[in-house]
Amino acid sequence: MSTAMTQHVARLLLLPIFMIAIAVIVKGYADTGDGFAAGVIAALGVLLQYLAFGHEAAERMRIVRYAPLGALLGLIVALLVAFVPMLFGKPVLTHTPGVGEHAVHFGTLEFITPALFDIGVFLVVYGFAVGAIGAIARSYEGEGPR
Amino acid sequence: MMLLALAIPWFGGIVVALLDGRKRRTGLVAIAVLAASFIASIVNGIAIYRHGAQEMVAGGWEAGVGITLRLDTLGVAFTVLSLGVLLAALAFEVANGVQTRVFPALVLLMATGLTGLFLTGDAFNFYVFFEISMIAAYVMTSYGGQPRQLRASFIFAVVNLIGSVLFVIGIAAVYHITGRLDMAGIRDQMPLVSTSPAILTATIIFVAFSIKLGLFPFHFWLPPVYTGTTPAVAAILSGALANIGTYGILRFGGDLFPRELARGGNVLLILGSLSIVYGALQAISRGSAGEVLAYSAIGQVGYILIAIGIGGRAGFVAAILYAIINSLNKTALFFAMNLRGWIVSAAFAIGAFSVAGVPPALGFFAKLALFRLGANERDWWVVALVFIGGAMSFIYMFQLYGWRFLKPADGDETPTPLVAQLITGAVALALVALGVWPEPLLALSQHAASVLPGVAP
Repeated sequence: MSTAMTQHVARLLLLPIFMIAIAVIVKGYADTGDGFAAGVIAALGVLLQYLAFGHEAAERMRIVRYAPLGALLGLIVALLVAFVPMLFGKPVLTHTPGVGEHAVHFGTLEFITPALFDIGVFLVVYGFAVGAIGAIARSYEGEGPR
Repeated sequence: MMLLALAIPWFGGIVVALLDGRKRRTGLVAIAVLAASFIASIVNGIAIYRHGAQEMVAGGWEAGVGITLRLDTLGVAFTVLSLGVLLAALAFEVANGVQTRVFPALVLLMATGLTGLFLTGDAFNFYVFFEISMIAAYVMTSYGGQPRQLRASFIFAVVNLIGSVLFVIGIAAVYHITGRLDMAGIRDQMPLVSTSPAILTATIIFVAFSIKLGLFPFHFWLPPVYTGTTPAVAAILSGALANIGTYGILRFGGDLFPRELARGGNVLLILGSLSIVYGALQAISRGSAGEVLAYSAIGQVGYILIAIGIGGRAGFVAAILYAIINSLNKTALFFAMNLRGWIVSAAFAIGAFSVAGVPPALGFFAKLALFRLGANERDWWVVALVFIGGAMSFIYMFQLYGWRFLKPADGDETPTPLVAQLITGAVALALVALGVWPEPLLALSQHAASVLPGVAP
């Protein structure tokens, strides 16, 4: 059911969707939002590409091809943030800089280790969701009207 | 250092997930990772046994704000047991030749989930790790890829998802009535909750764990799954994953809801007795090895439930001891189920003796603990049940032994790799060795039960 119009709109929307996803992470330090929600939003952008272009074209995109690898990377990043403090004798998930200490700001985004954790979560959720979308799309290959 | 047993399989699992699990080298890496985690958990266990429980709140927050991680003897005992079973099963499968690329990584991720679950001091965190291990189990039951395995995997996933939903409803109910998610807070608040919501919540959580354990009225999923999967996966499900059910009932019942457990004790006794009788009768009447062992698993869980139902210190000691021994028995038996050779045959006989409770196999002490419990409480029903159940398990185990090992080989069976035979033999040897020198295990279950306040019977 894909027309030139839907394809055009899908392509146009991809970047704004990713921008919103990033905004949700950045906002998360002062407002509602976190890596999980951002990952789901970004994956919805990819789902739109699958619907408009079919799975073969969508899987040629880099953001889709490297998504599973990103998920593993994200998991490692998140786990490192959790467990590395233990090497310094602190409880698991302790964040640096600590409570009340000075942190570099960029708008509402603070450069603290939880931000890294959130990016890890974002990559895991995004990678998993894109992988699941791909698996479902492939299993419907050749079924029903196009 | 206290979370090393958790961190090692988690990082290891991610790395192994990138490699092809069918290659022998990947299997060996996974075995090394799991062995490291196993050793770390033993070292932790010794430290805790000597110096008492350790607690840590994530992020250095106050208790009740941050997620609590708590290592006590009960949790560590189940960690060591489950990691040991997983290690044996992984080594067994690597020796037989792994068929899919994800299997070693799945075993490591299940080890992560189980370790986290046994070491957490937070009810919601318990659920999270619970799901990590269950998701690994869903994929694992489809291992083999034949229609039989896929069917088993589908049943397993559907039933256990229902169990998980019930459990998360139970956790939500706990939060609703106590306002706390950390176990220490729940323990403090529960006595203040009025009876009916507390009983309802405890029942929901009990049913959720019963589904995992395959207790009598919730057992319907268990036989098709255990017969459908491969022996290594069946050993993992009954030797490692089922520990979630026992540990969960002990932790939530004995530790968090002691008042509700004491009130529901008779229900547990009835369900346990029904499980024993039903499981044994079904096992006697079944023809295939997988089915006999599956129904035997349903029956054996009944003994654990009876011990918890009687409750008190002695009851919890017996339950922990029985759970540990049962999981070793099932591991040995499922390994030996489809193999041939004299080592395997001997291993199966030892496992069968252990299930029936005949010395010198370890199972004798499990039955003895229950027998003592029944005699001390003047609960002659329990004493009778231990004898009758033991006699019936003797019948079905040796029926099975007769079919499997006393028949001349058909000749068309694939030869068994020697390493797999040796691993099976090693588990059986552990059963005899611990049966001859049971003091460490008895002391461990005494110590583990002491973390549960319970209610004096």
